[in-house]
Amino acid sequence: MSKTSRVVVSMPKTAKKGEIIPIRVIVQHDMESGFRHTERGVLVPRDIIRDFVCTYDGVDVFRAELHPAVGANPTFSFFTVATQSAMLEFKWSGDNGYASSLTSQLVVT
Amino acid sequence: MIVRNVLGRSSTQARASWFSLFGMTWSVAWLLLPLVFLTSFTWAQTSLPPRQSGYELMSPATRAMQDDEALNPATFWILDGQTLWNESAGKKNVACAQCHGDAATTMKGVSASFPKMVNGKLLNLQGQINMCRQTKQESSAFQLESKPLLSLETYIGHVSKGMPITVERTAENAEPLEAGRLLFEQRLGQLNLSCAQCHAERAGLKLGGNVIPEAHPTGYPIYRLEWQTVGSLQRRLRNCMTGVRAEPYALGSDELVQLELFLMWRARGMPIETPGVRP
Repeated sequence: MSKTSRVVVSMPKTAKKGEIIPIRVIVQHDMESGFRHTERGVLVPRDIIRDFVCTYDGVDVFRAELHPAVGANPTFSFFTVATQSAMLEFKWSGDNGYASSLTSQLVVT
Repeated sequence: MIVRNVLGRSSTQARASWFSLFGMTWSVAWLLLPLVFLTSFTWAQTSLPPRQSGYELMSPATRAMQDDEALNPATFWILDGQTLWNESAGKKNVACAQCHGDAATTMKGVSASFPKMVNGKLLNLQGQINMCRQTKQESSAFQLESKPLLSLETYIGHVSKGMPITVERTAENAEPLEAGRLLFEQRLGQLNLSCAQCHAERAGLKLGGNVIPEAHPTGYPIYRLEWQTVGSLQRRLRNCMTGVRAEPYALGSDELVQLELFLMWRARGMPIETPGVRP
């Protein structure tokens, strides 16, 4: 069964050609490490996001692998150069069929 | 005679902490004694002393996390709460929004007035939400500290962000407020410490490497980095009780709500920060 959750992306809607634009993303996820036990001593199975990728007009501009030591609700802050008006796509995927995505239009003048 | 100032500590205790602050000698201190009585008396009569939110003790990075909605993880609880607010539930199949309308206008300042007396019973905001849920929606109460309850509380709380806490002493809440004060000053646990000993008498000094905050509940429910999630004031209070190696009062117990009332009254006038982020 696939799971999804909320994401918040903050980036400018418009930019000048050649401008460096900041992008910040945060995703709702408990990031259960797989190392914790319940009060009764049963291991809580791992359930984390494994992969995050941002594509700009189909080209990878930022990619990250996530591991059990990453905290809950992981956030990324990165930059890219505005080259042309295009769609930015943000995709998260992880354990137990987890998948979230969001697209955002950037207008370059 | 014991003269109490508004922070809930006796003036003798207050004098003791001022000594260490200014390094005064006893002889000078005795000369200033009448002045101290006078100032603490006029304080209580007129305005509130300056108080410090735990926000001011945080690193610039953690402050930025609280201030920026796109970085504050509690934003997800606000969004979840908004969904629940508009979702019909219970036998009556009504949503919060059907009675209360748009929370952004109707719930303004509401969280700043809790805990309060409702039909003769002291309720915190969670208690009020669950009461509405049981009586108006005819549904089951949310489990305390559960995600939906915290989401609704965070959503209702965040519309009051920036508004002053309005909990005042009234004839109705005087009894639980006094009970809350006694709990604040009650020594607890194997370490035999009261809340007041750290958060009133020694606030601003260090415990380990950390500055002891004044413990004003301005940002609840908070996203606590240590918890990796949003939690209520009661969860935080229980943490401190475990910290002094006492058996914590149960979630939702009268004692914890009384303590909440006293803390909110003690922080009256301070702006609501919900949803706060704390380390």
